[in-house]
Amino acid sequence: MFAMTMNNIQTKQNTCTGEEAPCVMACPIRQDARDYVQLIARGLFKEAYRLVRERNTLPASCGRICTHPCETKCRRNSTDKPIAIAWLKRFLSDNYSENIYARPEQTYPERIAIIGAGPAGLAAANDLALMGYSCTIFESNPHPGGMLRMGVPKYRLPRNAIDKDVEFIRQLGVEIKYNTTLGKDVTFDSLKKEGYAAIFIGVGLLDSRNLPIEGAEYDGVLKGISFLREVNATGTAKIGKNVLVIGGGAVAMDCARTALRLKTEKVSVACLESRKEMPTTDFEIEEAVHEGVILYNSVGPKRILGEHGRATGLETLRVKYVFDEQKRFHPAFYEGSESVIEADTIILAIGQTSNLSFLKNQEEIEVSRGATIVVDPNTFETSMPGIYAGGDIVLGRGTLTEGLAQGKKAAISIHNALRNEKRSDEKWADKPEVPKLADARVPLVKKEQKQDMPMLSLSKRLHSFDEVELGFSPEVAVREAQRCMNCGAGAYVDEHLCVGCITCVRVCPFDVPEFRNGEITAYIGGDCQSCGLCIVECPAKAIRFKTPLEDSGRERLKALFQDAPVQKTRPLIVNFYCQYGSPVVGSVEGKSNAVIEKHVKRIGVLGLGKVEPSLYLNALEWGADGVLITACKEDECHFCAEYEWIKKRSAYVSGFLSEIGMDARIFQTHFVSSQTDNAFVDIAVQMVKDIEQINLVKSA
Amino acid sequence: MIVADAKPFNEIEQMLSGCKKVYVVGCGSCVTICHTGGEKQVTELAAKIRLASKLKGKPVEVVEGSVLRQCEWEFIEETKNVVEDCDAVLSIACGIGVQYMAERFPNAKVFPGLNTTFMGAPTEQGVFWERCAGCGNCIISTTGGLCPVSRCAKSLLNGPCGGSQNGNCEVSEETPCVWNQIYDRLDAQQLLSTMENIVPPKDWRTGAENHPRKMVLEHLVMK
Repeated sequence: MFAMTMNNIQTKQNTCTGEEAPCVMACPIRQDARDYVQLIARGLFKEAYRLVRERNTLPASCGRICTHPCETKCRRNSTDKPIAIAWLKRFLSDNYSENIYARPEQTYPERIAIIGAGPAGLAAANDLALMGYSCTIFESNPHPGGMLRMGVPKYRLPRNAIDKDVEFIRQLGVEIKYNTTLGKDVTFDSLKKEGYAAIFIGVGLLDSRNLPIEGAEYDGVLKGISFLREVNATGTAKIGKNVLVIGGGAVAMDCARTALRLKTEKVSVACLESRKEMPTTDFEIEEAVHEGVILYNSVGPKRILGEHGRATGLETLRVKYVFDEQKRFHPAFYEGSESVIEADTIILAIGQTSNLSFLKNQEEIEVSRGATIVVDPNTFETSMPGIYAGGDIVLGRGTLTEGLAQGKKAAISIHNALRNEKRSDEKWADKPEVPKLADARVPLVKKEQKQDMPMLSLSKRLHSFDEVELGFSPEVAVREAQRCMNCGAGAYVDEHLCVGCITCVRVCPFDVPEFRNGEITAYIGGDCQSCGLCIVECPAKAIRFKTPLEDSGRERLKALFQDAPVQKTRPLIVNFYCQYGSPVVGSVEGKSNAVIEKHVKRIGVLGLGKVEPSLYLNALEWGADGVLITACKEDECHFCAEYEWIKKRSAYVSGFLSEIGMDARIFQTHFVSSQTDNAFVDIAVQMVKDIEQINLVKSA
Repeated sequence: MIVADAKPFNEIEQMLSGCKKVYVVGCGSCVTICHTGGEKQVTELAAKIRLASKLKGKPVEVVEGSVLRQCEWEFIEETKNVVEDCDAVLSIACGIGVQYMAERFPNAKVFPGLNTTFMGAPTEQGVFWERCAGCGNCIISTTGGLCPVSRCAKSLLNGPCGGSQNGNCEVSEETPCVWNQIYDRLDAQQLLSTMENIVPPKDWRTGAENHPRKMVLEHLVMK
């Protein structure tokens, strides 16, 4: 089993990896996306969850509603589609979440007050608690989550997903005082008097932006955030049958899809942007349309029409452009292009704004023209010493992960201020990224079908707030994770050991190794796909993987023979199998078969090309009666080129074994389509019988 | 490079019979590049020795190692402690490296794990061909840059012979006839007339007929 601690992984990567994976660099919290995906690809789900949680305070929420810039930057975009990094995180948090932390042994006397139990506040509290500070969160609502709970509909983010992660934070000793509002129930002065050494403000943006047009005062005109808040708190809201949402962002989609679930007859969205310009993910727009939302793109609101004080529709103008030549938001309309969209309810979802009433009489805290709190960009300290701020109240409009990142950074800054230290988190350091996959290499990398998210059927969606995305099964998660190209963690050449034999250049199926500019040692660039062929073929053992996740089976083979019951098993067969062959996962390795379970110990490797032939000899040397290699069929190889190598290496080992007089049946190589189906079971069971017979003859 | 081939394993077993602890030592130069004496091959040979000896009920302990070049006193010095601690040294360097180990460690049993075969080069991954016989008097300026001494089965200086068949040597169909190749090259370079010159018998005293050979670079010798 995987023996390295996560800290080990990080240490090794820092020393070996010159270039960081773009998915990691794109993430505001620098989540170890590549490595948790790689752990899932190996069926190491618990380890993957732990790696996620080390960096991420709210994995269950991020796995659902993160805007996943990691996927936008994923290098798989060059060959087919990006890895579903966020959905994989959700898979982990749905099935493998656990409290990975004990309370810290070293504690500090200072107490920290955190205002708001949203992403920024929770992240700050989590990290400060782990550093040894006693934290209290003051939350004006009766539940945690901030805008996740008030703003995001339940069909996208079930509340237990928030509560589960918050509970782990609470178990670190963080206290959350609900129904406690800054400026009303507590003030900066009262908190200081209570002895809090630092205060972090993470209150978010609580109000919807106003649309100053004629008719905005009519009944039936609602503000998006208020509407969502009401529905999220009570399960319903007072709206009519024909709802029009104004806005083209994520909140507008949330309002529209929420309205659909409230027994409406028609829900439309009108926005300034064209379909391509809309500031939300394609997926959200597609789902909204799929559920029945009607989109009016490139229309601007002129005035709200009404009768007897009630809204009856929106008069619109056709949009010439939304952004001017300097790419500033500066919409222009065609004159005389008025038309009307009828509606009895109009929801304004054109952005959020802060509510700074808690800053009354706190003139020392500088506020921007956009009504956000101004902080030092490095320390997150406001203009009032000891008071810090982060998240949307600073960003104006940020994402969940940006909020988390600010909370995490502020936590380090608060610690440094209190302890007079200069601690920093190297994960945020600037690093070069693995460059885009070279065009010439794109056709060499096998296209792998992206896994679809199973969805709630349309008929079930519109009558409830049940979660729409149903989550990955372990098999689907592993298949999806196995598409990952392991960017930046592949092979590297130790130039002190390289003898310049050119073997790596010749054997690489992706033409990655090269001799650059007259250098006498080989260089393996970021396009390495981690097949491991060069590592095994290098006669000088000068090539290694940058990441210890690639253990090539050796450590697990060693561990296997340290197990007393295994040593006593007779006959004992070690099966090296290709994990790309089928998503064999967790402990459920192979079909239930008593013979196999007892006699066949399985070691899965992502590509058998990275297994040295000497390891097969080691298995026999250490006590196995037989070695069974089950590799993928030639046309099913993930790396497209391992079949020939596995055949050659098997012949090499077989040749030696026959030279020393061993029965050929103790070392078998089979090319199979599945590592769990009946064909595999037959092969393995037959081999057990063969070896029983050989041993019988021997003992006779 | 010097090319060497792995000895049959039963020969190695015979050499090592009676040994309980063996030092298998590779060489990081020519034999690494020809995939018979590198660190990888040390690991494989060590596993083979352990497995085979275990099967026979007389397990042998194997110490694995490799040096940059076994043909340098300075580099093999680092192996001293291990050599003294083992019953035998199985060197998978070329014959030069094996002898250097033997000369440096007079009390050690030093055995060759490889058969040193020729000076050559890889023509493709895993395929090595002889290119030089070390005759001590290079003549390839007159043969289109191709060496008939090392590449002709008969080392003919006035070829080809009648055994040249469709561009290949009669000795083996997979061996190209170097005199055929020489002809083609000279023809392409419009130097075919060179072939009309009869080359007199070669003085072989500069080559393998005159063992052991020695070279002294007076300007480098330190007195």
